[in-house]
Amino acid sequence: MSGAFAGTLMNSSVDLVTRVCQGDADAFRLIFERYSRPVISFIYDMVNDRALAEELTQETFVRAFRAIHTMRAETKLSTWLFGIARNVARESLRARARAGNHVDIADKSVMDLSDKKPAPVEGLLSKELNELIRRSLAALDEDKRLVFTLKVLHQCSYDEIAAITGFSLAKLKTDLHRARAEMRKRISSYAGVGYEV
Amino acid sequence: MKCEVCSEFLEEYLDSELAPGERERVGAHLIQCVDCSTKFETLAAEQELFARYDREIEVPPFLWTRIAEHALTESNAPRRSWFASLFARRFAGVAAIVLLAIAVGVVYLMSRQATPEKSVVDRVSPTGPTQEQARNTGEIVSRGSTRMNADKSKRQIRRAIHTDRDVSDQSDVLSSDLGYLDIDEQDTAQHIEQTQNLLRSIKNLPVSDSDDEIDVSYDKALSRRLLNENVVLRREAEMKAKFPTKTLLADLEPFLIDIANLPDHARPEDVRVIKERVRKTEIVAALLDYQDRGINNR
Repeated sequence: MSGAFAGTLMNSSVDLVTRVCQGDADAFRLIFERYSRPVISFIYDMVNDRALAEELTQETFVRAFRAIHTMRAETKLSTWLFGIARNVARESLRARARAGNHVDIADKSVMDLSDKKPAPVEGLLSKELNELIRRSLAALDEDKRLVFTLKVLHQCSYDEIAAITGFSLAKLKTDLHRARAEMRKRISSYAGVGYEV
Repeated sequence: MKCEVCSEFLEEYLDSELAPGERERVGAHLIQCVDCSTKFETLAAEQELFARYDREIEVPPFLWTRIAEHALTESNAPRRSWFASLFARRFAGVAAIVLLAIAVGVVYLMSRQATPEKSVVDRVSPTGPTQEQARNTGEIVSRGSTRMNADKSKRQIRRAIHTDRDVSDQSDVLSSDLGYLDIDEQDTAQHIEQTQNLLRSIKNLPVSDSDDEIDVSYDKALSRRLLNENVVLRREAEMKAKFPTKTLLADLEPFLIDIANLPDHARPEDVRVIKERVRKTEIVAALLDYQDRGINNR
C-alpha cells in the first residue's frame, strides 16, 4: 500500500470535516468513499427500491456537502449523515405516498412466503430468506422500520438512533420491540424461531 | 430476578444498552434460568440472521461523479467559519470604500478638466454616493468574492472527481494535459493513465521462484475499482461511437479481470503469467500511443 493511501486511511472524520469546511473537495470524496455504502444500504432498507436508493444517496451527499459547515463539533459524522439520509428517505416516502404510488406489501404475500419455505442451509442466508427479510422490512410501518434498520441492520446505539430520528428513548424502545416481534412473526417458520417475547 | 422482569430486559441486554448493575443481574439470572437463557439464545440467533442480511446493493461507480457535478452546478462551496465570513464581509466593505474613494477622485478630476465627455462615473451624484449606492457596490464586490470562492471550489471538486489518491506516485508516467477535454474524455484519459500505472506496476513487479507468495492486495483492489470504471467508460464510448476508445477499453478488461481475481497473496507463477501477457501484448505501449495521439484522433 502506498504511503499516501495509507495516509488517507488515517484521516479522522473530524479532520475530514474540517478540511471540507476549508474548501478541500478531496476530503469530501474521502467522506463519500467511507460512508456511501452504509448510507445507500440504509436508504435502500427504508425505500426498498434500488434505483431510488441511488438517487437518494446522491441527494444525501449533495445536501451534506452544502450543509457540512453547520455540523456541530460534538456530532458524530456517521450520525449526522444518517440523519440527512433519514430525512431524504422520509421526504421521498411521503412524496410517493402523496402520489398514490405506495405499494403495501405487508401482509399476505409476506406471510405466505414465510410459511412455506424450507429452513435454510446452516451458515448460508439463502436468496429466499434475503428476499423474505427485504419484504418483511418493507411491510413494517415507517417508524418501526427506521429503528429496526438502524439498530439491527446497522448496529447503531440507542443514543445514536435517538439523535438520527429525534425519537425519545421510550418510543424507540417500544418501536424496536414491536418491529422485532413483527419481523420474528414473519420469518419464524423459515428460521425456526418460534416464541413470544 | 423474576423471569418476567428478565424478559423485559432481554432485548436491551442483547443490544448492550443496559446499565452495568442491571446487566449483571440479567446475566446472573440467565446463568441459572434455562427458559430465559433459551429465549436469549434464540433472540441472539435471530439477530445473527438479520446481521447477515445481504441486500446485494453496491455503490455505483458513477455516483461520486454525479454528486460532484451536482455540487458544481447547484451549490456553492461550503461556507467558511463565521470568522472567515465576517472577514469576507469586512473585506467587501473595505473594497467598497476604496472603490467609492476612487470614483469620487475621478469625478473630482473630471470636473476640474471640464471636458464635455461623460463617463459612467460622472453619473455618480455630485454630493457623493448615497447609502443605497454604497450598499449596492458592497453587494457587487461581495457577490464577486462569493463567485470567486465558488469557482475555486468548482475547480477543486473537478479535480477531486478525477484525482486518484490510490495512485499517488506518478513520477514515471507521461502526464497528459486534461484541461481541454470534456468531462467524459477527462474521465477516460484519467482512467487510461491510472490503468497504465497499474499495468506498469505489475509488469515491473519482481517475481522470484524463491517467493512463496507475492502481496498484490493493493494492485488487486485498484484493479477492481478500475474494472468497474472500465465497463462504464467502454459503454459510454460505444454509445458515443468512439470506437478506438471502446476497442482499447475492451482490450484492457481481461488484464483488469485477471488482476482483480488474484488472491491478496498470489502465487509467483500466477503473477508471472500476467506479467508476460502485459509484456507480449504491448498493452502499455498501446495506452501510451492512445495518450500521445490526443483527443482529435479519437
